[in-house]
Amino acid sequence: MSKVAWLSVIFSFFFFQFVLAQEKKDSIGARFQISFRNDPLQLNKSYISDAKDTLKISTLRFYISGMKVEYTDATVTSPKKKYALLDIENPATLQIPIAANSNKKISKITFNIGVDSLMSVSGAMRGDLDASNGMYWAWQSGYINMKIEGTSKSCKTRKNEFQFHIGGYLKPNYAMRTITVAPHKSDLIIVVDVAELFSKINLSETNSIMIPGAKAMEIADYASKMFRVE
Amino acid sequence: MSRQSKNIIIGILFLLTAAFTVRKATPVYFETPAGWPKAHYDFSKNKLTEEGFELGRHLFYDPILSKDSTISCASCHLQATAFAHVDHALSHGIEGKIGTRNSLSLVNLAWSENFMWDGGVNHLDMQPLNPITSPVEMNESLDHVVTKIRKSKKYTHLFDAAFGDPEITGQRVLKALSQFEVMLVSANSKYDKVMRNEAQFSQAEQNGYQLFKINCASCHTEPLFTNNHFEYNGLSVDSTLNDSGRMKITNNDNDYLRFKVPTLRNVQFSFPYMHDGRYKNLTEVIKHYNNIPNNKLLPKQLGVAMNLSDNDRVDLVSFLKTLTDNEFLFNPRFSFPRE
Repeated sequence: MSKVAWLSVIFSFFFFQFVLAQEKKDSIGARFQISFRNDPLQLNKSYISDAKDTLKISTLRFYISGMKVEYTDATVTSPKKKYALLDIENPATLQIPIAANSNKKISKITFNIGVDSLMSVSGAMRGDLDASNGMYWAWQSGYINMKIEGTSKSCKTRKNEFQFHIGGYLKPNYAMRTITVAPHKSDLIIVVDVAELFSKINLSETNSIMIPGAKAMEIADYASKMFRVE
Repeated sequence: MSRQSKNIIIGILFLLTAAFTVRKATPVYFETPAGWPKAHYDFSKNKLTEEGFELGRHLFYDPILSKDSTISCASCHLQATAFAHVDHALSHGIEGKIGTRNSLSLVNLAWSENFMWDGGVNHLDMQPLNPITSPVEMNESLDHVVTKIRKSKKYTHLFDAAFGDPEITGQRVLKALSQFEVMLVSANSKYDKVMRNEAQFSQAEQNGYQLFKINCASCHTEPLFTNNHFEYNGLSVDSTLNDSGRMKITNNDNDYLRFKVPTLRNVQFSFPYMHDGRYKNLTEVIKHYNNIPNNKLLPKQLGVAMNLSDNDRVDLVSFLKTLTDNEFLFNPRFSFPRE
């Protein structure tokens, strides 16, 4: 190979390294880390909840929407993606790019768990809101904000299954929840601790909620407690 | 430059122009019949085009929407019977399974604010999710419908024509179906022609119209012949179904046994009647309303017995038949698409 060719190979190697490094440094994003207490949650692995239920999770999907990042200088930025469907089975979905990096310090992040009422009444949507994602109810319109499914011996149901499809956009059963977290580290890791939710649920009594209503509102409250920053 | 190379350059330029020309679908103008209210459907979010309509029409008549490719929308919504399921009290779907309600006719849907007998669906776009996913109708998922359609060459072309690129998504399937469905406008019955002074009621029809205005119009309001509300009409509960109606959606006790007021347009052909199809013909329906056993749920409009004579009943049916719109029922634009 000629000298020129070698040089160009070396040059492009450094060039791409540089570009990649830039990208890493130049954008910030929120990373949702789904856990059971202190460990990353594994699908179909047995866990014991604080409510003393032995359980396995098989599905966990939820919408995060309307995220707002506030800096210490009171300026605010929002990610391009207004509605994101996070799915534990698809790790790429657990990251939401927010903005270009800056030296500014983030004071707090606010976001909704679920989809607002406007989107729930506005017909067929695209992308993460496309009804083909299986997160829209057929018999009673509206998005399913969060789906958690699995099995537990505590559930005297078919195949010991439990299913929580939490949603509802009509008052008084508007199940979207808005939460605010204040990160003290520069990496924005938002922990979603599923153990929190199951500490509040007695699976032998509560194991199937798939309609909007008072029970869904209760689960939505518990579910919002899963989110925290380290 | 030689003549040949000139031709080649012109040819290349022509191909480039062709490649970058945006193929525009043909816009369709949605006409509101004179004197009608403004349509409820938001056309700004789903621009009607000839190609979008055609795509929706193909999807409407295609059993690919069902799990075993046996049931299409048209299975329960036949054009000649006002897009309802004739002769079936309760509509049946996949593997002959029977549902719990009588399929509604599909007409003037652009003016509907909600859908289904209990109004559980808040937008026309989202209605098809119901039959597609119902285990006794099509027993499919929208996701799998999209997967199946993506493999079809025919649909690649149709989506390309309708949306400017061949991408097939759940949203596009639903929007295309809406494009077909909003065009199902029926506004040219004899009744409409009389209102436009293009025809005249017979004496019986005229008498029936007077009776209609006194006894029926508070719920079956002109010109859509529905007030789009949910009402209890005095039917006793069918204990084999125990259908609580609107209450199932709202959890509100006041909505117990309330169902959508259906339109009466083309009612002559949309038999059987009521949410559970319990009445086979219009005479049975009128007999029900003529003398409803009083109960405390009955709305005050129905509290006073109609007490129609036999002749009046016949006249009322004559009037209802003037709501038949043959142009709509036999419009080739709405029929099975021949390729």
